[in-house]
Amino acid sequence: MAPYFLSLMMLIAIAGIAALGLNVQWGLTGLVNFGLFGFYMFAAYVCAHLTKSSFDPWLAMVVAVVLTALASACVSLISIRLSDDYLAIVTLGAAECLKLVVIHEEWLTRGSLGISNIARPVAGDAPLLLLTLALLGGVFVLFELVARAPLGRAARAIRDDPLVAATLGKHVLALRLRLFALGGGAIGLAGCLHAFYYQYIDPTQFGPILTAYAFMNVIIGGRGSNRGILLSTFTVVLLLEGTRFLNDYVAWLSSSQLAALRLMLVGLGLILALIFKPEGFVREYRLKVGRSSGAS
Amino acid sequence: MLQILFNGLVSGLLVALPALALALSFSILRFANFALGAMLTLGAYVIYFFNVVLGWPIQFAALVGIPLGGLIAVAVDWLVYLPLRGRSGVTLLVASMGVALVMENAVRFAAGGTPLGYDVEPARPTRFPSLDVLGGLRVNHEQWLIAAVGLSSLVVVWALFSYSRLGRAMRAVADNAALAAVRGVSLNRTVAAMWFVSGALATAGGLLIGLDATLDPQMGWNYLLPVFAAAILGGIDKPMAAVFGALVMGVASELSTLVIPSHYRTVVAFGVLAALLLVRPWGVFGQARVTR
Repeated sequence: MAPYFLSLMMLIAIAGIAALGLNVQWGLTGLVNFGLFGFYMFAAYVCAHLTKSSFDPWLAMVVAVVLTALASACVSLISIRLSDDYLAIVTLGAAECLKLVVIHEEWLTRGSLGISNIARPVAGDAPLLLLTLALLGGVFVLFELVARAPLGRAARAIRDDPLVAATLGKHVLALRLRLFALGGGAIGLAGCLHAFYYQYIDPTQFGPILTAYAFMNVIIGGRGSNRGILLSTFTVVLLLEGTRFLNDYVAWLSSSQLAALRLMLVGLGLILALIFKPEGFVREYRLKVGRSSGAS
Repeated sequence: MLQILFNGLVSGLLVALPALALALSFSILRFANFALGAMLTLGAYVIYFFNVVLGWPIQFAALVGIPLGGLIAVAVDWLVYLPLRGRSGVTLLVASMGVALVMENAVRFAAGGTPLGYDVEPARPTRFPSLDVLGGLRVNHEQWLIAAVGLSSLVVVWALFSYSRLGRAMRAVADNAALAAVRGVSLNRTVAAMWFVSGALATAGGLLIGLDATLDPQMGWNYLLPVFAAAILGGIDKPMAAVFGALVMGVASELSTLVIPSHYRTVVAFGVLAALLLVRPWGVFGQARVTR
């Protein structure tokens, strides 16, 4: 039971970091990143590659995070001045192309064989879990600070109406770029931790489903609310991963059918949450102006 | 050379039907429908069900399956997009991602992940000896089918769009929904009709792609990027221009296989898309608006 609990917590923490990253990009700034899994994969591969070329794992992680932030900024630059739909398709396209490169360029990524024996920054599963939880906490605190900082206010203004924000003298393009890179960095961190945890990566581990999980966490938690996202990651991922236990009980369904069912549930959850609970379960942080006792 | 051009046009036709479907829904509802790939997959499998499981000839399977695909799209609209109408385009975008997940995995649940093929009689390719001076041309049986189904669907949609009352209503709503409503065009009926056409087109596209290669639950997803690139190339709010975009994309990707390995077709599509978005995001025929 203990190893299972450990791996569950690990999955939750990694999904939480990715969802927090998406929250900065989409929840706070309104930039749709359908290519989340591509940046996540990018970081995992950079990190794995660097540790394989005998870099220190800590250094590899930092380099991978910085590179992922830069890569997200570059990709978003293609269409960040256009409306949201374009950013969605551009990020998705970049992610799909990246995956093709990972599959086919075997001299670089070992293709479908994958990269194994990735060194960890700390030895053992439990210390790695502690590190991951600490990083989750760190990212959470950082993004809570960002949400309360002028940068966060500007981000919400841009999300709600870029024209008004621009009229008030905000440099929309630069702010979007910065916030997209910031979120991309967190997604990259999640990718590194993925590589450290499994110590083996191959292209099949990375797919659009990672993006869907992150979106579901952000929507159910409440767009823009970091606390809500922590809450929803812990409940939603727990529930979804818990359905893996069903494998032993429902013998008439094959495990691949159960996997398909689980993904259908994710999709259904996304749709239902959007229809019935679009604001999520926890409201985002708002600065209260004036007499705080009187209003609302 | 002639062969490459021809193959390019045929693979362009494969993309043209879903690209047209995408541009239709974008022009009327102003949101990018990411569930289109999954709709294509689902439609292809519906026809597979009639064709292989029930053993009908492919023509009948297609005749029943294509309208059924349209009805599925209308049902999805009714269940998902109708309650969300009036919300921002981004909300619909994310919802369509959810729809895609549900559809694709419903297919995987019911049919499994192994590639399948339609029950079509194999036939010898047609050759054109008179064209040998230009490098020769051979046309597969499947390519004839693709050309016939693809072109006739395009003609039907074009006629519907240009000459029928419904087509006029669609164009009116696409142009200015509020004004159309004031003039008595029923928004809900027009949108439902649009979804029917869009779903039927996606299903027909799925049939053609299944004929060209094999059916698998990922098939539609893999075509999503070329379809978006084609629709944006033509001008995403100009439905018939998407067809032009698709043909250009088809020829371009076929030509690119001369220099780039063919598994990088998606990368070529993405390259075209990225270049286009940087230089002329409103497409070849679109007008410079609505992009910001």
